[in-house]
Amino acid sequence: MADPRIDLPQGTLDLLILRTLALGPQHGWAISERIHQISSKVLQVQQGSLYPALHRLERRGWIKARWGASDNNRRAKFYGLTASGRRQLQAEESAWRKLAAAVAQVLETS
Amino acid sequence: MFSDLVFRLRALFRRDTVEGELDHELREHFERQVSKYVAAGLAPDGARRRARLEFGGLDQIKEECRDARGVSFIETLLQDVRFAARLLWKTPAVTAVALLSLALGIGANTAIFSLVDAVVLRILPVQKPDELALIERYNPRWGAASPSFTNPLWEQVRDRQDVFSSVFAWGQNRLDLAQGGAAHLANTVWVSGGFFNTLGLRPTAGRLIAAADDRRGCPAVAVLSYGFWQEHYGGAPSAIGSTLSLNDHPFEVIGVAPSGFFGMEVGQKFDVAAPICSTAIIDGQQSRLDQRSWWWLTVAGRMKPGVGRSQTAARLQALSPGVFDAAVPLDWSAGGQQNFRKQSLVADPAATGISGLRQQFRQPLQVLMGVVGLVLLITCANIASLMLARAAARHKEIAVRQALGASRGRLIRQLMTECLLLSSAGALAGILFARWGTALLVRYMSTARNTVFLDLSFDGRVLGFTAAIAALTAFLFGLLPALRSTHVSLTSAMKGAHALEIERSSRFRARKWIVASQVALSLVLLVAAGLLLRSFAKLATLDIGFDRNNVLLVQADLKTAKIPPDQQLATYDQTESRLSALPGVVSVGRSVMTPISGGAWNNSIHTDWSKGVTGDDVLAWFNYVSPGFFETLRMPLLAGRVFNAGDTTTSPAVAIVNQTLAHRFFAGLNPVGRTFRIDDAGGKLGPPIEVVGITKDAKYESLRADIHPTAFFPATQVPGHSEVETFEVRSAIPPSVLAAPIQAAVAGVNREIPLEFHTLAGLADDSMVQERLLALLSGFFGALALLLATIGLYGTLSYLVTQRQAEFGIRMALGAQPGSILRLVMQDLMAVLGGGVAAGVCISLATTRLLQQMLFGLGGRDAVTLIGAVAVLCVVALIAGYIPARRAMRVDPMVALRYE
Repeated sequence: MADPRIDLPQGTLDLLILRTLALGPQHGWAISERIHQISSKVLQVQQGSLYPALHRLERRGWIKARWGASDNNRRAKFYGLTASGRRQLQAEESAWRKLAAAVAQVLETS
Repeated sequence: MFSDLVFRLRALFRRDTVEGELDHELREHFERQVSKYVAAGLAPDGARRRARLEFGGLDQIKEECRDARGVSFIETLLQDVRFAARLLWKTPAVTAVALLSLALGIGANTAIFSLVDAVVLRILPVQKPDELALIERYNPRWGAASPSFTNPLWEQVRDRQDVFSSVFAWGQNRLDLAQGGAAHLANTVWVSGGFFNTLGLRPTAGRLIAAADDRRGCPAVAVLSYGFWQEHYGGAPSAIGSTLSLNDHPFEVIGVAPSGFFGMEVGQKFDVAAPICSTAIIDGQQSRLDQRSWWWLTVAGRMKPGVGRSQTAARLQALSPGVFDAAVPLDWSAGGQQNFRKQSLVADPAATGISGLRQQFRQPLQVLMGVVGLVLLITCANIASLMLARAAARHKEIAVRQALGASRGRLIRQLMTECLLLSSAGALAGILFARWGTALLVRYMSTARNTVFLDLSFDGRVLGFTAAIAALTAFLFGLLPALRSTHVSLTSAMKGAHALEIERSSRFRARKWIVASQVALSLVLLVAAGLLLRSFAKLATLDIGFDRNNVLLVQADLKTAKIPPDQQLATYDQTESRLSALPGVVSVGRSVMTPISGGAWNNSIHTDWSKGVTGDDVLAWFNYVSPGFFETLRMPLLAGRVFNAGDTTTSPAVAIVNQTLAHRFFAGLNPVGRTFRIDDAGGKLGPPIEVVGITKDAKYESLRADIHPTAFFPATQVPGHSEVETFEVRSAIPPSVLAAPIQAAVAGVNREIPLEFHTLAGLADDSMVQERLLALLSGFFGALALLLATIGLYGTLSYLVTQRQAEFGIRMALGAQPGSILRLVMQDLMAVLGGGVAAGVCISLATTRLLQQMLFGLGGRDAVTLIGAVAVLCVVALIAGYIPARRAMRVDPMVALRYE
């Protein structure tokens, strides 16, 4: 069975979460759904890594959690980007772009 | 950083809230996933199943979230501690034994270390102590430096030096606060004007002594120590400006020193400080200020920042000729003066102050530190044994936990947490024990005339030491059992007891090793204790040449009583006769030097037969005594006569000498009727003195010192006059009862005379303080080590007997005699004991050399002690082993086999 989904490389999950949250605060499920959709259903975030990642990012002060009402009017924990999270996102984005470009270049030339 | 901390702390302390939130969040996620699949057309059951599959283990995610929160280390620790505490609580007897021995072991180490810290390591509580340097006189002739200075010499150093930013000097005296009657002595320190200022000390109240206070002819002012101020004035500000009587002279109190400062000398504390110049007021006519051979000051300086030690040394060397030349004692012989001028000044770091106590106790403390270290090792071995036994009991539990997926590292961590908990609790109890122990030890270091004071407040170093040995202890007694007990074969463990035999025997082997090393270490301690006890016993039962029992010493100070020199002799005589008339008094004598009090008066003597006697051998030790002295001390006269009323100030000079003097200076001839001469400091011989009697040899200044050639002269013939003399009173009633009537009798002669009371037996004890302390402690720790080793041996053999009960049962069922079972067990015991003793003897022989210097009258490899220690150990061990062995012998085969 050919599965179109691929696992996330090490370290990219944080970047994807930060990028998703740059659009506005979201709760956990919505974050994973969003990544899934935007990536044309290629990237699948394992719940087993999503929540530890959220806790880790919160500990580092890059995101902040707040309880609010979700779209279906249930209580949910919303994660939003903090100022230092925004800076981190920029740094990681540019690092990622450089890495991706370099990898692409290597692949094309050989 | 701060947000990180807040986050972690919230996670730690609001754990339930955080866990609830996590649970809610994950459940929410799950529900949404399910509704998503339902919306996509799956049946509700199928949707749930799929979501659950995708989700993975809920608890695993939670655990990972906890890890991400960064609190799992602490949480696990708390969990482990709770678990360990529960386990320890469940076996109260084992825990209590372990805790008690740890408290003793760690406590003893803490106690001795806090003494080492207070005596040797602690830095003075003054400003920049590292800059302080002690200035000493180096004498090339002796190849040694001496820290004592005369006042003229100190004044030269003060006025000529330019290497130190400032210098200061101090000297100590004990002065009487009471005006007449029983003396109430205060430790007085005479300080130079720069003393407090150079040390950077600030007054608690009033002001401290400054340069302006220390000028010749200064008024009598005094600074109180903080402790003295609290004790005698209740810390009242009104103390400032009040008058304090020192040796019957009024001193005005001008201030109080800071609370942590006890003086420059470690082991003592000062009560009162007064300027050096005010000694003139106390001394009267014979002021020490211009005395060029009265060595009473210690000098120190503060180094200039940036000036190195070699630079300082070079400059001091250059200054020396001028300093010594200007302060040379003019009454010395030409040779003596020449040697005096050859001396040079040297400087040594003095951040830790100076201390005679340190010199006296440095080595004993090192020995004690080694002793308590060994005790702790033995304690560790015992607890390791206990832990191994406990691990055996928990064998199945550990196997189950490993089968359920606990990693070995995790299990070891849990077992070690248990050990650390145990050792920390032991350390806390040990600190309490140490507080009490050190106070007791300091009391034992004190003598009647020298109360040792040490600043024993726990500092970071002592607490750090205790924490370190607690951790080390846990590691020592915990690691081996933890490694062993987690090294299990799961299948065999699950199968049951039978499959465990092999592992058990290997565990038993480990315990044998532990016990054998305990035996070896306790033998070392027993040998050390035996040596020190025997050495002390030899010293205590030594024939000192006089009878120390039932003699009260009463020291009378006629100078403080301001009795003029020409009336002093009459006052002494009158007092002596009044004392002999008191009921209960057997006889009375008096002397200028108090026997075995540490003081000495010596000089060179010459006879016609002593030409071959050279070097220090020409010295004889002197005392001036009344006729009753010999009878009172029960010093037997071997030939000639004792002094009598005919020996007066004007009669011919006579002396009674001891056997050693007779032998050395009269070449074995009978000295009675012959004469000797004293070689005065000026280099000329004194008038001839006729020997009228010989006494038996007796100790002079201390019990440990060799017997000196000693000459006794009549008290009436003291050169000049003597202002302080001691009455020896032999009584038929307890000396304590005698003190009041004696005071009354002396007051009948003159109310102003201050008296100091001691007993001769007390002085003898005091001169053995170091030996007594060592013997007492090493005896105590030796016994403790023996007890611990015995417990270890007993426990191990009991364990063995229990383990082999079935085997013994079978053997007996097959017809083995009880005797052969006993032999089986005793074989094990003998192997352990034999190995331990052999190792112990080797270690003892290799290390007792370290004790040699502290021993009196026997060698470090004393065979009697060694054999005795081995015998004691073997007897106790055999008794300890016999009890379980006898139990093995009485095993009922039926009962034993029924267990199977």
